[in-house]
Amino acid sequence: MTYLTVGNATKQFGVNFKALDGVSVSVDKGEFFTLLGPSGCGKTTLLRAIAGFNDLTSGDIKLGDYDLRKIPPHQRDIGMVFQDYAVFPHLSVFDNVAFGLKPRKVPEAERKARVDEALATVRLSALADRMPSAMSGGQQQRIGIARAMVIKPRLLLMDEPLSNLDAKLRIELREEIRDIQKQIDIAAIYVTHDQEEALAISDRICVMSGGHVEQIGTPQDIYGDPQTRFVANFVGTLNTLKSGADLENLTRNLGLSDVKAETWAVRPERLGLSNPAAREGATIKGTVSKYVYLGREAHLQVSTGIGELVVHIANPGRNAGRAVGEPVSVLITRDALMGFDTNGKRLSTGG
Amino acid sequence: MSRLNFWSAVAIFTWLLLAIFLLLPVGTVLLSSFHDPNGQFTLANYAAFLSEPRFHRALLNTLVVGFGGLAGALLLGAIMAFCISRFVIFGSKFVSLLAILALVSPPFIGAYSWIVLFGAGGLVRTGLRDVGIMIPPIYGLIGILIVFALKFYPYVYLMVSGALANVNRSLEEAAEGLGLTPWQRTFKISFPMVFPALSAGGLLAFIHAIADFGTPRLLGRGYNVLATEAFTLYSAEVGSNMSMATTISVVLIIVSMLFVFLQRYMSRRNVYHGNMINKPIKIKLKGWRNVAAHTVVYLIGLLGALPVIISIIYSFRLTNGPVFQSGFGLQSYTRILFNLGDVVRNSLTFSVMAVILIVLVGTIVGVYVARRTTLNTSLLDAAFMIPFVMPGIVIGIAYIAVFNTGPVILTGTATIIILSVFIRRLPYAVRTTASALRQISPSMEEAAISLGYSPFQAFLRITVPLIVPGIIAGGMLSFVTAINELSSSLVLYVGSTVTMPVRIYLLILDGDFGTAAAMASILLLVSGLAVYIAFRFLGRNEQALL
Ligand SMILES: Nc1ncnc2c1ncn2[C@@H]1O[C@H](COP(=O)(O)OP(=O)(O)OP(=O)(O)O)[C@@H](O)[C@H]1O
Ligand SMILES: [Mg+2]
Repeated sequence: MTYLTVGNATKQFGVNFKALDGVSVSVDKGEFFTLLGPSGCGKTTLLRAIAGFNDLTSGDIKLGDYDLRKIPPHQRDIGMVFQDYAVFPHLSVFDNVAFGLKPRKVPEAERKARVDEALATVRLSALADRMPSAMSGGQQQRIGIARAMVIKPRLLLMDEPLSNLDAKLRIELREEIRDIQKQIDIAAIYVTHDQEEALAISDRICVMSGGHVEQIGTPQDIYGDPQTRFVANFVGTLNTLKSGADLENLTRNLGLSDVKAETWAVRPERLGLSNPAAREGATIKGTVSKYVYLGREAHLQVSTGIGELVVHIANPGRNAGRAVGEPVSVLITRDALMGFDTNGKRLSTGG
Repeated sequence: MSRLNFWSAVAIFTWLLLAIFLLLPVGTVLLSSFHDPNGQFTLANYAAFLSEPRFHRALLNTLVVGFGGLAGALLLGAIMAFCISRFVIFGSKFVSLLAILALVSPPFIGAYSWIVLFGAGGLVRTGLRDVGIMIPPIYGLIGILIVFALKFYPYVYLMVSGALANVNRSLEEAAEGLGLTPWQRTFKISFPMVFPALSAGGLLAFIHAIADFGTPRLLGRGYNVLATEAFTLYSAEVGSNMSMATTISVVLIIVSMLFVFLQRYMSRRNVYHGNMINKPIKIKLKGWRNVAAHTVVYLIGLLGALPVIISIIYSFRLTNGPVFQSGFGLQSYTRILFNLGDVVRNSLTFSVMAVILIVLVGTIVGVYVARRTTLNTSLLDAAFMIPFVMPGIVIGIAYIAVFNTGPVILTGTATIIILSVFIRRLPYAVRTTASALRQISPSMEEAAISLGYSPFQAFLRITVPLIVPGIIAGGMLSFVTAINELSSSLVLYVGSTVTMPVRIYLLILDGDFGTAAAMASILLLVSGLAVYIAFRFLGRNEQALL
């Protein structure tokens, strides 16, 4: 059930710069929706338009039955976690979090209980009475998260809320955020430029670049079936193949000569070293130029006629080590290969 | 909609205010410099300025004292700032206090104290002569430069120490990691970071130095600058030459303005933001370096505060008429109490009135300038630069020129003195408010709005509490400048509107240093109180004094 819809959103800054260029997204009730993209692609701009701080140049935003663009920001009931924390320096941590409960006329006792609970969630109970000015970036960020969640808004917007935390706390808190979001069953839009984080917590991901949407889909779709070269490159790693006779041979062997792709690419974990048992796919000969053993995985770099290929091997056995200079054959299957046209659009490879 | 109308009203009101009390007077000055006594257009005044050696000398002298004062202030201020912010100095708070004393000390009382010590019959000079050391009296250029360096170094010191304290230590650590020596670090990393502060402090020193006319008048002994020439021409009993005085004023304004642009141009690229988290640590020096650092810091601090100390001591000395007797007493103070009470009252009422106006108007206009970025606010911002480069004496002359005749006659009233102080200090209040507002991230108010507060409530609950301490402190500091203001009041005063600085000036000219010292001490006490209150609100932020 669609809850929030943004239709054809365009935001112009100055005369000829569009921070958003025809962005359309829809978010379902209870959905965890992530905006993923490189710095400057318009993620914050989109969030701010939804929250009402920067009206769109054109386009529409609907939440439920309401036309959000007609509602002033303070009546939208949208919680927001700000990229620069925006913690109130003159209020204690407790008062910061309680701030949004006052206009909602929450009774005193309940207010205290809710704030305490929120503080516990973000692991700040011990600091409740402190002033935030001398706190670390990560602590301030957590105040911001608690403050936005405690009001149980209709929609929760989070602009890189975990960017300043250490790896362990990041993982813990992103689980927490997701649990709470599911528990209070609100729609959430989460901004990040960390692809792993996006894949881990999202119901759906919207990959953006340069003010437009590249692809919207489940984490599996985004990673496993990227629709543009940008998405394939931004989410996960990618070997882009060097054109030439070897590449033509390869595509012919795989029955892909009809696909007129500008570039071909393949993910490292979809490659393997050929073994006699493999029946499908084509092989390409090369020599090992680098070998890195990582325990759970091994990363190989192989010089071939279609460029330097990075190959990831899962569960490398104890005897799987390769010496630099050793000749190997790399196995490429038909469905691993992705072809993109001149505009970076993914081409269908049939079957 | 109603908000929009409110701001339009603010814009109109501000422009009216500026038009009547700034642009009109300044424009009149400009025009009258192009008129002869009969009101005919003429370039004769400028021709006279260009041809008369007397004015050439004054212009040259102005530049010499300006750059000399600037150099002295930069040297002393930078050394002091560097020592205090980078080394552990015993009693550094006390030293800062000395700098503040020098800054708020009543004008040109400094010059007179130096005469008491180093003048022709000065205490130190005669003392040294008795043991066979001859030093020349302090009059002339050397004296002026010494007084300027010691009076204006606090501008540089306060600006730069603030900047140095905010240079993010990570930057210096990064430079250290890249293998730069401490000297290279200082010049390649720290210097560019503090350059804006250094040049801004220097600018203040320069502008005050070329506008100061009490010091050259008392110490110069024939070393005339533009400010003294303008005052002489204006106040001459016989043959007062208003249009020549205004011509000189225009030249003075141009010099100030050129320098402002120069400073802006030089520090245009250097805008750095401090980081409060990783602050620099202070090094504890050992051995002779430690002694040297302490000596330098205390020497500068004590010399700068010397005039204040001298006047406090002299205010308690017994006198017979203008002549000092041996022994101490409260004679000078009783004289003020019985004869000069109305002067003290004038000063207090004028300053309080001016400050109320400054705070009210300054805050509203500051919010307007900071929150609406339009062509209009940029223009306003530019217009507010005008009082900044306007020497007090010029404002005084301009007010006389406009409000002496015409529809509104204000000459001889308290209003004209209050307004002149108000318009000169207003830009500072606007700037304080605007910069305080700009430091508050807009997302702070947005956060409150997203939590359900209306924009106005968000402003009231988040922004106002954050800027009020700054506004109160700014008001207190405006009070200090208002009550110490001399140069425009000197042009504008009449018998019933004499203020304390004016009376001190007149007393010194009469040779009654005892009473002058006592009055200066009272002025200092009041100023000190205001600074103390300001620091209570700001948590001791010396830079706010600038
Ligand atoms: N008020 C503004 N005026 C002009 N340009 C702006 C403004 N706000 C944002 N931009 C520009 O719009 C583009 C998108 O900015 P936005 O803040 O949305 O990026 P972002 O995706 O959030 O990046 P990041 O990951 O770095 O936070 C940027 O190029 C930015 O410079
Ligand atoms: Mg952003």
